[in-house]
Amino acid sequence: MTEFQAASKMRELMTEYYIEAKTTKEKPIAWVTSGAPVEFLYTMDVLPIYPENHSAMCGAAHKSLELIEAAEAVGFSPDICSYARTDFGADMTKGGPIQGLPAPDMLLCSTNICKTVIKWYEVVARNYNVPLFIVDTPFMHDGLTRDLIDYTTTQFKNLEEFLTGFTGRSFDLDRFEEVLKFSLEAANYWKKILQLGKTKPSPFNSQDTFIHLAPIVTLRGTQKCADYYKILYEEIRDLAAKKVGSIPKEKYRTLWDNLPIWFKLRRLAEFFEDKKCALVVATYTNSWGGLGDDYDPKNPYEGLAKAYLSVYINSGFEHRINYLASLIDEYSLTGFILHSDRSCKPYSIGMYRMQEEVTRLTGKPGVIIEGDMCDPRVYSDAQTETRLEAFIESMEDSE
Amino acid sequence: MFEPFYEVVFNVSKNITENKTALGRPVIGVMPAFFPMELIDAAGGYPVQLWGNNLSLGKSDAYLQAFSCSVARSVLELELIEGARMVEGYAFTSICDTLINLRELYRRLFPKPTVELSIPITRTDEARRIYLKSVIASVISGLEDITGTKVTSESLTKASSLHARTRELQRQLYYIRAEKSGLIKNYDFYVTIKAGFFLPRSVYNQMLEDLLEKLDKLPQPKGKRTKIVLSGMVFDPIEIYKIFDDLNIDIVDDDFANGWRTVSKGPLEVADIVEGVTSYVFNPAPCCCLYNPDNDRHPYLVDKAKKAGAEGVLFWYIKFCEPDAFDRPQLIQRLKDEGIPASFFDVELSMTNFDAIKTRIDAFSEMIKG
Repeated sequence: MTEFQAASKMRELMTEYYIEAKTTKEKPIAWVTSGAPVEFLYTMDVLPIYPENHSAMCGAAHKSLELIEAAEAVGFSPDICSYARTDFGADMTKGGPIQGLPAPDMLLCSTNICKTVIKWYEVVARNYNVPLFIVDTPFMHDGLTRDLIDYTTTQFKNLEEFLTGFTGRSFDLDRFEEVLKFSLEAANYWKKILQLGKTKPSPFNSQDTFIHLAPIVTLRGTQKCADYYKILYEEIRDLAAKKVGSIPKEKYRTLWDNLPIWFKLRRLAEFFEDKKCALVVATYTNSWGGLGDDYDPKNPYEGLAKAYLSVYINSGFEHRINYLASLIDEYSLTGFILHSDRSCKPYSIGMYRMQEEVTRLTGKPGVIIEGDMCDPRVYSDAQTETRLEAFIESMEDSE
Repeated sequence: MFEPFYEVVFNVSKNITENKTALGRPVIGVMPAFFPMELIDAAGGYPVQLWGNNLSLGKSDAYLQAFSCSVARSVLELELIEGARMVEGYAFTSICDTLINLRELYRRLFPKPTVELSIPITRTDEARRIYLKSVIASVISGLEDITGTKVTSESLTKASSLHARTRELQRQLYYIRAEKSGLIKNYDFYVTIKAGFFLPRSVYNQMLEDLLEKLDKLPQPKGKRTKIVLSGMVFDPIEIYKIFDDLNIDIVDDDFANGWRTVSKGPLEVADIVEGVTSYVFNPAPCCCLYNPDNDRHPYLVDKAKKAGAEGVLFWYIKFCEPDAFDRPQLIQRLKDEGIPASFFDVELSMTNFDAIKTRIDAFSEMIKG
């Protein structure tokens, strides 16, 4: 994995963020999903905390299994999302790298990443007896429609009212515009960074972007987040200009679909490097790059509604297949990897068919590996690496 | 008494094909859960409910991972082996991530048209109305395209009345079961409800009326029996009811999505179809798939168990059903806090060996008997 100079800045940012979360006396804390419109929270000085990000952190630190087992010991089924099980376990035991998250004062959940989050947050709402606000962003079987935009925009207005009541303060539109500006600035830099993956050789690996995703998930809407991505962009842009690749001898260029396997990030990075295979684009990290695509300063709510609806996994298969094919073309890929993630049904169900169709459209080989983002018990190094080796051979054959 | 219902449940394909010919209506397969079938009848369709089946899975493995629920896998299997040839279109709802993606898979794999009642779960009434109005218009238009028949206020009113009558008769059966515990074998009861998934309303309503008339005259059997309540999404595989029957355990009420959660619904109000569908979907019984804090499952299930005089609650868990699985630990704890024993067992619709389930039911029975 690539050690960017900006990484120390990121660690500093994330440490500050969690220290504030753990110690704040002034700001109410909202637990939020990764696809929730946090711009409303930052406007109202409510501090968003992301259990998903925290679970990912536990997974990457190889702490998720003990937390998962704690959740299962009180009856949570191994069938449910491993992020949720990690979160429940961390909450019960105060285990993990930061000894659990600070208690929430409210919950904000958006269905654009899955419907499972509703169930997860219902459990938390009951545990803490705190209000849960849901922004419902229905699945877009047939693309974005006027009704979907109006539906979502209307809920944003209601969210504003809810937050006004919750904090006892009025909603400051000037502050909202400022937060939006930071949010879009960060998203735009993030997008520009990810597009540098088109460079040959790629100056970063998708595993790098999985790590550097943390600020845009957690601090989106703050100046420090926007500033961070500017620094990171400039560093990676310079590497791209100098044709410095993230792996020494890039031969294969692939896509990663679905969440990372957090507890295997390093091992897989080493495996791919050894095989001269660079993961240069990931649908998961791209999800945070499109926030600014539909932004209209005259109608910020509508732009936000479009952005929060138009999440990759909230879209129909036709769109997903065409999107994957377009990435294969734009990033000059030699193949694609689909992670069938046992814990993420909306991302994974239908993947077998999508693999066939994408290969038919692009002529590029694809592989599906079975895994999980946080539960190491359902992952096998040997099986996965054997499949990946065969896939790499198939890319060799199709060269 | 129950033979006509057995005949339907064990000859599903033959019955649907015969009824389709007799009615001259296209069959619309209805996926779980809470799709108002009144809309299909009003559009001149013949709704048939698909809550999964006990096919051994083969072809569907090429499209769905083993961590998908057996409801999704088995309905897909049915279509892939051409066991659903008589079905001309499908109606979905958006109750879970798996079914949402399953609809997408159907659209890639099969030429049969699909409609989806995308259920808004917002608490913002204005937003809900905006969205649901367009969803219902799209559903009706999709159904009309399949059937070639326009929905009218008259056809909606008539369909509403027919389906309301079905649920009213089914509720009477539930009441008899609760009041005369032991009179209806558990297995017979669920075969009777299940037959309703496949029959035209008018035919099924008549069968239920005949059955209720006979049951009405029969006394409650004597003797002490164990009473329990079941909770889950789908009440299959029905072979499990034979275990309860053998152990003299009476299921006096249930909280199944395809049981009481549907049977308890009142008439679909058609004068304001947006409010009518909202009320139909969300009321009166809560469901793990429908976020609705105004209708909390915890007090609801405690109350249900107490009113039924149940000695315990068993959760019937279809593997990999996340909405159901998330709710269960807190619900079990709440029931226990109220002094109501509760436990669960896992099922797959394709399972053929029930020994492990029998052991769990046996153990639960012993526990509640003290």
